[in-house]
Amino acid sequence: MGKELGYTQGGLPRVCARIRGSAIGGGMIVIEQLRYVRLGTRDLAAASDFAQHILGLEPTERTDAQAAFRSDSRDLTLVFVADEARAQTIGLQVRDEDALDHAASLLVRTGHQVLPGDPETAARRKVKSLLSFSSENGVSVDLVVRPLHSGWRYFPSRDAGVTGLEAVALRAKTIDKSENLWTKIIAGRVSDWVGDAAYIRFDGAHHRLSLHPSSTSGILAVEFAVESVDQLMQSSYFLQERQVRIVHGPGRRPASQQIFLTFAGPDGVLFSYVSEGRTIDESDHRPRQFPRRAHSFCAWGSRSEVPEFNPDTTLCKERGRA
Amino acid sequence: MIKLQKVCYVRLGTPDLEGATRFATDILGLEVAHASRKSCHFKSDQREHTLCYLEGDPAIQIAGFEVASKADLDDAATELDALGRTVHVGSREEADARMVRDFIGFTDPSGNRIELVWRPAVAGTRYHGTRDAGITGFSHIGLHSTDPARDEAFWTKVCNARVSDRIGDAPLLRIDEVHHSIALFASSRTGIQHINHQVESGDDIMRSLNFLNERGVRITFGPGRHPSSSAKFLYFEGPDGMVFEYSSGVRLIADELLYRERQFRSDPKGFCQWGAKPQIPEFS
Repeated sequence: MGKELGYTQGGLPRVCARIRGSAIGGGMIVIEQLRYVRLGTRDLAAASDFAQHILGLEPTERTDAQAAFRSDSRDLTLVFVADEARAQTIGLQVRDEDALDHAASLLVRTGHQVLPGDPETAARRKVKSLLSFSSENGVSVDLVVRPLHSGWRYFPSRDAGVTGLEAVALRAKTIDKSENLWTKIIAGRVSDWVGDAAYIRFDGAHHRLSLHPSSTSGILAVEFAVESVDQLMQSSYFLQERQVRIVHGPGRRPASQQIFLTFAGPDGVLFSYVSEGRTIDESDHRPRQFPRRAHSFCAWGSRSEVPEFNPDTTLCKERGRA
Repeated sequence: MIKLQKVCYVRLGTPDLEGATRFATDILGLEVAHASRKSCHFKSDQREHTLCYLEGDPAIQIAGFEVASKADLDDAATELDALGRTVHVGSREEADARMVRDFIGFTDPSGNRIELVWRPAVAGTRYHGTRDAGITGFSHIGLHSTDPARDEAFWTKVCNARVSDRIGDAPLLRIDEVHHSIALFASSRTGIQHINHQVESGDDIMRSLNFLNERGVRITFGPGRHPSSSAKFLYFEGPDGMVFEYSSGVRLIADELLYRERQFRSDPKGFCQWGAKPQIPEFS
């Protein structure tokens, strides 16, 4: 299975066998999968309502403290947590306990504070074991082993055509440090840059993380894949009718070739539907540098109010001040 | 039976030839094939011209269809004459203005001006649009109809059109493999209801959406996707209130024997499977 990239039959991403063999990993932390996103919210009821009725995911477990949602054959991929501080976490799967131990020592060696996960946390996260550390982005990262799968077919609340958690976009105050963490300590690879924004991949998909230079930190957007352009456009009208604020798109990203629709979710986090998009052949890909301007974020010419996706405006403002 | 081969051109009168020309080139993205003081011909594909704006009354709206031979043209004239329809045989000068060898003109039962043409000019040079709209060619027209059932009978019994689908009582008619080249929409007036150009891809539709929005062109329907023809579409307003459409991915009907027309509902869901709502009176 030397050149096997991309997706298993269940539609889940699988890490390239050659990477797992650490030809590319080279002692770095090899990520198997982007697994989940946990978002702190001040209004759990409203956030759950959004996830179920707007985003269209399948609610699974609901307590007073948190609400979990499925987007594919995994047991959960999105969790809203009642939290005044609105802490944000992304969960990434590593191969096994050995990989987790290796990650812990590497992170400590590179000056990160590592929190080993206790059994209760692991149970709450629906994983066998985990560790947590704080990334440069004000987002904490869980590295997890044996996260729970579901044997049951994904049955969403509305026919949004969601096929799975696809990617997370992060804001980064110090983009160099951030890129360093994800590509030198963790074995992510840069697929393309737009200005200094970096698209980072862990498997055959063009990217699972994107890092965006920003004046603030935290999760910029959580992205779910949908079946096709039909579902994406249907959602664009669905969201408009429900007065959900669409902040970017419908559009197509020149770098990944994905079509996208980005809209406002609870607690200042954006959500996107994405579809189509290219995969990466490891033997034949060189990261490309796209210019830092709005057209590099949308090949259809859609404009965004979100400064991270609209560097032209930022430039104009800077010039205006000078 | 009148054997229509292909929809050939549209001729439109306008009180503002300069403004219409600017729209056709800078906005729609066509190429000027031939410009004079009184008219301007535009190219959208390999044909010498597919749209002509004439200085004059915007009520002048003519659709041209190609027939295969001079014999077919003569037979059509005889047949129309026998049906009691007034047939105008085009003069040399009129034919030259249309870039065709010969043509006849008549009106359909609603009063729409139709021309049948023989040997329309094909260009030696390829189409190169004024902007990168991705146009692959002029493809179909919608016609106003004061009685869609009567007009459907004319186009399918006197001419060789076949019903591909109906949206309410509006028939979408094909004359070749393309799902529809003519569509008839119930209306109190006559003339051309919309003019369609095909574009390469859905990307072109969406790029044009932002392009048109930025230039303040009124989008009247879409972006969307027709459940009937499966084409992605965008409708917008041109000079003198004419509706223009870009679409991509129209269904081809290869098997005449197996195909059966379908009945779609006469509401936004029958016109668009993405959820767009038309701002076009004949579609509402």
